Amino acid sequence: MATFINSKTIFRLLVLPCLLLYSSIAHNSSSVEATMHTNNWAVLVCTSRFWFNYRHMANTLSLYRTVKRLGIPDERIILMLADDMACNTRNKYPAQVFNNENHRLNLYGDNVEVDYRGYEVTVENFLRVLTGRHETSVPRSKRLLSDEGSHILLYMTGHGGDEFLKFQDSEELQSHDLADAVKQMKEKLRFKELLIMVDTCQAATLFNQLQSPGVLAIGSSMRGENSYSHHLDSDVGVSVVDRFTYYTLAFFERLNIYDNASLSSLFSSYNPSMLMSTAYCRRDLYQRRLEEVPVTNFFGSVMETIHTDAAYKALSRKDSGRFKAQMSLDQSVHHHERRTLINVNDQDEILNTKAEDQQGASTCPFTSFYEKLRKGENVDSLVNYGLVAMLPLLGVSSWLFQ
Amino acid sequence: MQKMGKQKNKTASFSFWNWVIASIIFRLILIYFPKNLNLASRPEVSTPLTSFRRLAEGYWLKQLSMSPYAGFSFCFFFFSLCPTFFNFFFILIRQKKEMYLIFLVFGYSGSMYHGSPLLLSLLGPLTVKRIEGQPNHLLYSLVSVIADVVSAILIRATGKNLRLAYLRSLESLDIVQQTKASGEFFKILSPGDAAALIYLWNPFTIVACVGLSTSPIENMAVILCLYGACSRLVPLAAFGWVIATHLSLYPAILIIPVIFLLGCGPDAPPRKLFLQKNNKEEVLSKSKLRLGFSWRPITHFAFWALLWSAYVLVLCGISLKQFGGLWEMFKSTYGFILTVEDLSPNIGVLWYFFAEVFDFFRNFFLIVFHVNILFMIMPLAIRLHHRPCFLAFVYIAIFSMLKSYPSVGDSALYLGLLGWFVNELADIQFSFFLFCGYVGVSLLSPVMHTLWIWRGTGNANFYFATAMVYACLQIILVVEGVSAMLNHDRKLRNLATSKPQDAKS
Repeated sequence: MATFINSKTIFRLLVLPCLLLYSSIAHNSSSVEATMHTNNWAVLVCTSRFWFNYRHMANTLSLYRTVKRLGIPDERIILMLADDMACNTRNKYPAQVFNNENHRLNLYGDNVEVDYRGYEVTVENFLRVLTGRHETSVPRSKRLLSDEGSHILLYMTGHGGDEFLKFQDSEELQSHDLADAVKQMKEKLRFKELLIMVDTCQAATLFNQLQSPGVLAIGSSMRGENSYSHHLDSDVGVSVVDRFTYYTLAFFERLNIYDNASLSSLFSSYNPSMLMSTAYCRRDLYQRRLEEVPVTNFFGSVMETIHTDAAYKALSRKDSGRFKAQMSLDQSVHHHERRTLINVNDQDEILNTKAEDQQGASTCPFTSFYEKLRKGENVDSLVNYGLVAMLPLLGVSSWLFQ
Repeated sequence: MQKMGKQKNKTASFSFWNWVIASIIFRLILIYFPKNLNLASRPEVSTPLTSFRRLAEGYWLKQLSMSPYAGFSFCFFFFSLCPTFFNFFFILIRQKKEMYLIFLVFGYSGSMYHGSPLLLSLLGPLTVKRIEGQPNHLLYSLVSVIADVVSAILIRATGKNLRLAYLRSLESLDIVQQTKASGEFFKILSPGDAAALIYLWNPFTIVACVGLSTSPIENMAVILCLYGACSRLVPLAAFGWVIATHLSLYPAILIIPVIFLLGCGPDAPPRKLFLQKNNKEEVLSKSKLRLGFSWRPITHFAFWALLWSAYVLVLCGISLKQFGGLWEMFKSTYGFILTVEDLSPNIGVLWYFFAEVFDFFRNFFLIVFHVNILFMIMPLAIRLHHRPCFLAFVYIAIFSMLKSYPSVGDSALYLGLLGWFVNELADIQFSFFLFCGYVGVSLLSPVMHTLWIWRGTGNANFYFATAMVYACLQIILVVEGVSAMLNHDRKLRNLATSKPQDAKS
């Protein structure tokens, strides 16, 4: 036995575990490095057709309006509506969709951009949107062009059941399909954090197979429970909104773009007696605490504005680190406390003058000229002078040195 | 007789200036056509190096305090400003039975501007200045027109110089009478006037001027260098050489003809002819030609070249201080030229090849293509060292053909310089064929381009065929030109050495 174990065999035995260890370390280290949250996306899906499912359309359009109001632009919203209620022949109010019987709000204004409509809303297209595996002819507006810094809100509403969601009354999306798609998204680094919100009957069962980290799932009802509609609009003739979405909207209508209400406050606003079902939140895959996450991380798109006095300079690597620190501070800024103006150039100058003081710079004109050069203020004029001076220099030199 | 001669000279120069003014007027008329006749968008006229739109874009970036060689992430902003279609060339070409040939040319665009930062400071403001009621880029076009006129004047002066040198060399060889008698002599064309007028009225030059490319300025620098070298103005020659190399890399090889010009003087028959003559008749005193090779002007030239390059590099360094400095500039200008990053079609032969070369061999073939220019330098220098201006012409023709991004502006230069040698190259073979070939290629090339890109009934091979024919024509021109020049030298040698026999009859 001992004769067969020579050094070569030992080497080969050791190489494979070493490689595995190395690859796992490399993978772990790469997954540990933090990516910045850079953009927000929303995928809003309504899966049912026919007139009596008006409320599902109204749900989705209400979320669409909310998400747009809180700042996500149309380029980053994928809106999938399986049927057209606004121009349905049974709609007494043509081109208008309401989510309340007081008809206060028309959800179908002239700035609604529907990306997938009618029969385009299929399970296949939905999964293609999530995973990004489209035909080459699919236009950009129909693609989810997220990257590893994206927070994605995925809202789905329609008819569902135990571990499935019905699409177009003819096919279904199962929980393992959804989990698979999310897993692919995670592999391809298509999101940083994903919030899945589902308003169907037995919605929580749809999340049973999810395994990817960074996913937060909120469902409107548990297994065996139905999600109910809120009220019937006798004028339009159908129920116009679902309870879960109605109370979600009630929460969001109080907010504006600068509020920092957290996800836990959203979730705790769901009252099981009012919903007539138990709202469920699956948070084991989500590392952060819900009290710290503002709802605008998913439902809105808040842009950092930093005022500078000088001309725009491209962000260098060293500046981005500074901005990271600032972003964590911004979580606690209130509405009446606008961000203090941080003049980046001033900071630069302060640092520079400090360095100068340390060096003990003299007041020699050459050093002041050099300082001006370093700051780059009169560069263009200097270059122009140099160019203009070239010609007489040329002439003089040619004349002198014939 | 002398008075008539002077009058003739005057009328000759008068008609020359007539022609110059007529060419200026013609260019101005073309400039006033709407949108410069869309010449700026033709791939034959504007290449990634000479394009006006890229200059405007580089200047715009500079105004925003960004590097003019900025990369992709900043390109979004000004696609609305400069709707360039030749940098988003995503062409899908389908052969019936063959596979899809996808030319993803510059689709994922890197930096746009690849020229000198000094040009940005100089010409940049002209790209945005607008005068009410006048065509959009009038000032910039005027600069090109002025550059053309200055080049023509310099060509004429150099031509005069060459003619004087030619006459002197003929005198010292005592074959002036023969050449006059054999009737091949100067009723002619003064080479200076001929070359200047060819340069001004060449359709290629006019198109390059009206098409707002930076070729007129590059050509002016090269001609300045040659003029300075011919007239022994060493600082001027050094300045021209430094600027020409700075703007486009290839004129660097013109240092060899410049050294010969400064050392030996302008074009002359081979030295051994003079030595033979002198051995036979000992008329050393008669010859006013400098026979030896003097090193003093060369050292002066080296000094001035260093001085001007330091000046130019300091200016560039200052202007690009915040954007990566000189290394960034070298990477974006010389590096871009040498690595052939942009594969948009042009009338050259490199783009087609490098679109299909495998990555593994890309560096190898880059070296091959660039050495193709370099290895011709030495043999030509050895053979034509007594005729430095002609050597310069041959070098210019070679690198205009084999450079990474040729355009018609580059051809305009050597076609103009061809005029200096109208007398020596009088019996060049295939001249009519070449002329027809040039006309044919310049007419067919836009047609093939339209067939390929806009109508989709052709493909890249159509356009590349015209590019190949163009390269062939240029090769034939160079080869026949060199052989005609060598034949001329041979004829002079025969005339010089066989003189005693002629005297008998």
